[in-house]
Amino acid sequence: MRSTCGVILAAFAVTYLTVPVAAHHGFDTEYDSNKTITATGVVSKVEWTNPHMHVYVDVTDGSGKVKTYNLELTSPNAIQRQGWNKNDLLAGERVTFKAHAGKVEEARAALDSLVKVSAPNQEIFKGQRPE
Amino acid sequence: MRKILFVTAAIAALLPSYPSGQQGGGRGQAGPREVVVGQLAGKPVIQPVTRGVDYRDTINPNDPAMNGPVPRLPDGHPDLTGPWEGGGSDNDIGVEGGLKPGEMDALLLPAARALKAERSKAIYGEPYIYCLPMSVPRINPYPWKFVMGYTAKGLQYVYQLHETGDAGAHRVIYMDGRPHPNPDTLIPSWWGHSIGRWDGDTLVIDTVGYNDKFWFDAPGTPHSEKLHTIERWTRISNGTLVNDFRIEDPGTFTRPVELRFVARIVKPGVELMEYICAENNQIGLAGGYLKPGSPGIAGGAPPIGK
Repeated sequence: MRSTCGVILAAFAVTYLTVPVAAHHGFDTEYDSNKTITATGVVSKVEWTNPHMHVYVDVTDGSGKVKTYNLELTSPNAIQRQGWNKNDLLAGERVTFKAHAGKVEEARAALDSLVKVSAPNQEIFKGQRPE
Repeated sequence: MRKILFVTAAIAALLPSYPSGQQGGGRGQAGPREVVVGQLAGKPVIQPVTRGVDYRDTINPNDPAMNGPVPRLPDGHPDLTGPWEGGGSDNDIGVEGGLKPGEMDALLLPAARALKAERSKAIYGEPYIYCLPMSVPRINPYPWKFVMGYTAKGLQYVYQLHETGDAGAHRVIYMDGRPHPNPDTLIPSWWGHSIGRWDGDTLVIDTVGYNDKFWFDAPGTPHSEKLHTIERWTRISNGTLVNDFRIEDPGTFTRPVELRFVARIVKPGVELMEYICAENNQIGLAGGYLKPGSPGIAGGAPPIGK
């Protein structure tokens, strides 16, 4: 919430999904694989909801303006089956994340990776990005 | 169709099996596209691996438990409970059912072909992504199970439950010998009217009375209210359940279509979990295709943040 790293938008040429998906509602329909957001902020809410889980992160820029990112993951059931639970990420924790911007609403983004600032080598919800 | 399956089987038999420890065809993995998982009626059964995520919670195909004996119920019938993953259509019903690409589309009547073309161009047109039922024979990448419903009269019902994709509804298959209702009075519904019987160790499910709203797969392969399906579910081993699936729909296809899907048993401890799809559905919002509060989309979802 307080100081924050800037938001970096960078070209990110990846073949993100190795599994072909139907073009009419695939990942690339909703998100921009070429626009990666990397930022640090404070978790304001963690939604273990269906059909997909969402993590909201407040990011403050240099002028003190707060922008909230709504980060989409896959289903909470799939994430729980990988061993994660509600205590692994809580509101108020400071995190750095990488995500792919929404094609129209940039701040609705698909989570790619997320770490707590206090444990930068331990990725939370690893591999649980939306499909 | 059977000839195609046999030829496919012969080709597949030459393919390597899964390396030890590989779950099979998952993201980024370069595994085989299909494997032989057993025999049925003297012919190999092929399990396609077109989408590894379909089998993400299943046991490893090289696990000895795959080929264990079929567990049986006290009345001697095979236990079909599962839970299972796979065993139905999702991204391309024809290919997933054992046909060549485009082969099923070639059987569509002109109006059905035009409808599919229209659906395929639509962005977010699919009912399933608005948390409506996926119906038969669709199976999404989550566990599902048969629940054998016994009463004092024996097996009276089989329920098919899906972790997600059935909109919270259960599909009931009547096993008490009743016939289908009079077709002139039957109101079309998402799951139709299903009656079942045992043919030896095979559970045969006959269903009519479907509505025409659900899609057979994501690109929108259609059907009409004339749809009549016959499923033949056979557990050929502890780990494998075969779904021989016949479509009769003179309102959509030029002739009946026969497909084969294969389900795999999940890992020990994997159970169906709660999944209330309509709770917070935000699909289409990031891409600007839909707005909060659109039909099927979470109206109360915060535009961003709190």
